[in-house]
Amino acid sequence: MDPSPRPAVVIDNGSGYTKMGFAGNVEPCFIIPTVVAVNESFLNQSKNLSKANWLAQHNAGVMADLDFFIGDEALTKSRCSSTYNLNYPVQHGQVENWDAMERYWQQCIFNYLRCDPEDHYFLLTESPLTSPESREYTGEIMFETFNVPGLYIAVNSVLALAAGYTTSKCEMTGVVVDVGDGASHVVPVADGYVIGSSIKSIPIAGKDVTLFVQNLMRERGENIPPDDSFEVARKVKEMYCYTCSDIVKEFNKHDKEPIKYTRHWRGIKPKTGAPYSCDIGYERFLGPEIFFSPEIYGSDFTTPLPVVIDKCIQSAPIDTRRSLYKNIVLSGGSTMFKDFHKRLQRDLKTIVDTRVHLSEARLNGEIKSQPVEVNVVSHPIQRFAVWFGGSVLASTPEFFTACHTKAEYEEHGASICRTNPVFKGMY
Amino acid sequence: MLTSTLTIYTVLMLITFFSLEKGVELDHHWVEFDDVRYHIQVSMKNPHLLLLSVSLPTPSSETIFVRGLPFGAIEAIKAAYGNLVQILDPPRDGYNLTLKFNLAKLPANPDQKHAFMVKVASIREVVLGAPLRVILQHLAARTVAPDLDPPVALVHRPNECFFLFPQADKVTVVYPMRFNDSIDIVLATSFLQEFVEARRTAGLHNTPPCSWSVTPPLEIKGVPSDALSANAGFVTFVIYPRHVEGHKLDRTVWNLSTFHAYVSYHVKCSEGFMHTRMRRRVESLIQALDRAKPDAENSKKTSFNRSFKRLGLKDSSTN
Ligand SMILES: Nc1ncnc2c1ncn2[C@@H]1O[C@H](COP(=O)(O)OP(=O)(O)OP(=O)(O)O)[C@@H](O)[C@H]1O
Ligand SMILES: [Mg+2]
Repeated sequence: MDPSPRPAVVIDNGSGYTKMGFAGNVEPCFIIPTVVAVNESFLNQSKNLSKANWLAQHNAGVMADLDFFIGDEALTKSRCSSTYNLNYPVQHGQVENWDAMERYWQQCIFNYLRCDPEDHYFLLTESPLTSPESREYTGEIMFETFNVPGLYIAVNSVLALAAGYTTSKCEMTGVVVDVGDGASHVVPVADGYVIGSSIKSIPIAGKDVTLFVQNLMRERGENIPPDDSFEVARKVKEMYCYTCSDIVKEFNKHDKEPIKYTRHWRGIKPKTGAPYSCDIGYERFLGPEIFFSPEIYGSDFTTPLPVVIDKCIQSAPIDTRRSLYKNIVLSGGSTMFKDFHKRLQRDLKTIVDTRVHLSEARLNGEIKSQPVEVNVVSHPIQRFAVWFGGSVLASTPEFFTACHTKAEYEEHGASICRTNPVFKGMY
Repeated sequence: MLTSTLTIYTVLMLITFFSLEKGVELDHHWVEFDDVRYHIQVSMKNPHLLLLSVSLPTPSSETIFVRGLPFGAIEAIKAAYGNLVQILDPPRDGYNLTLKFNLAKLPANPDQKHAFMVKVASIREVVLGAPLRVILQHLAARTVAPDLDPPVALVHRPNECFFLFPQADKVTVVYPMRFNDSIDIVLATSFLQEFVEARRTAGLHNTPPCSWSVTPPLEIKGVPSDALSANAGFVTFVIYPRHVEGHKLDRTVWNLSTFHAYVSYHVKCSEGFMHTRMRRRVESLIQALDRAKPDAENSKKTSFNRSFKRLGLKDSSTN
């Protein structure tokens, strides 16, 4: 069977959520948490068996191998039974547990997409900081375990950029601000190539917003069962948080009209089944504020996101800077807060204008520089922009020629997966 | 695994569609194992009409297809979906079948509605499993379906089929097993032998008897030899009336029509398992090496906890 006429499988494994589906579609088929629940009891059992009993050990291994769940099913299983241990294979955008990752892919392919991996080319994503060794590992698993006919590993920021420009002209120069669950990166891209030396990472992402909201609610003494409080905080964050333009004014607004700004959360206690409710107040705007005033979250990192973006662009080659300011693309679930792009645009514009004024003042107004255009692009599919970009690129004919094929892999070995060529449609 | 008879996704999508009921534009392509493809469409203009096109694996020359479909498929569709469905003739370009569902006629009761949508999602089983179902229904009644020239070839993968040899008191099912990859062939062969053995020793008396052989069994001797080119042997099941009584029929039809997918899933699992073991061995070797290093170097390393982790990864992949 020749796999190229079939749509490619596109999987974006994020630290928080995995988006998967077939190329050519507008939306991923599934968005599920990147988590595996493994039944460890088999493995522990096998440790106690004597070494000589190889068969029993083998069988226990095989059983453990089949007895696992991923995504929402995994979360449910671990809640209902203590025999399952949760494992998050991707941490801060990097695969940390390859066994779990392999199982995760196995279920994605066979149980969710329900396709035969031998029939489809695959496009997977990686963070801009992924090491070539990790790419080799991915290649090994894809080609040897799943026998995929072809594989392309794309940098998620590049895909996010491709997602922004499918309707209008395809511009592959810009800065991608990817704020996911476990990692935030500011990645400048010129003509489809990542400017590696200018990438900036921020140790604050969606999970931190959740933790912060959880903490605020706990400190106020809201009555939430501790087992549930992280999940509740996450939902509260996704449903009610927004970006304000000025934190002091926002406090005043809330204090003047608490009824208008306060929201309520109703839940059921998992153990007793008793209903409970709690209020949601300042955390609505304080949660997302940690990107703009990180000092309210902790003292380890205090550079606001707009400053990081500005530094990133300033460190890029001088001839790319203007086009980078012009095309700042948002991607990732944690950029979905209402008015996030407006705040970013305003703060960044202020930084840039201030610098221009300063330099003009230094030159006594003799030279007037051209104003710098700052443009933060927001689009409706921000949540899965990376996946969508992958879906678009993987449906171009060039994609199939850019892929590493199984034959190439067998001839040259896993090292071919270290690099993946930029192809047309990407620039 | 692979036991659920429906594409979970389709169901989900259909259900979300119902919960919205405002009319959302839907245009989604989907490819399932064994090259079954779907195209689901709902337009803004007619939100109550759902178009579902299905493309089946290319039949091999032994298989009988009537106007692009396995025999009995049209009747099976009508039986399953009644007056809610209209079969478009001709189907959409590139598909074997296009069904138009009139969702306005759905039962109002949410449970019935859901049950119907689940049935829509099992379209693969309805169409591809139709001939199998006809033959097994005859078995349940202890008769032989007329007009069939045994052995009957049924498509289950592109250009590949399996064979049925119907008799009044039993139906023999033969699968020539083919795999592309050389490691897959080895793994599949040993998996199948173990599978047959395990069923024999486990004393599973209620499951159909099953055997594996390197050469084609007698039942399918008359078949042209290229349809019989198997590289992982032949699996034979014997189905008796007690396996297809009442509600057991559905399960048996599904299990038989996805047997190849079941085996290849397990082959991939064992490959994953081997890799896990290999990784563990490499890791324990690295640990042993680390222990053997002089103390000074050890303490230096642990103080850089993070980069040590990276290093570990690098070592294990180049070793
Ligand atoms: N509507 C929303 N508003 C705010 N946050 C949201 C919203 N929807 C999802 N999120 C948050 O976005 C995060 C998930 O984003 P995303 O799926 O982009 O991350 P990821 O790709 O899994 O992680 P990473 O890219 O860091 O590896 C979660 O923290 C989630 O709570
Ligand atoms: Mg991501």
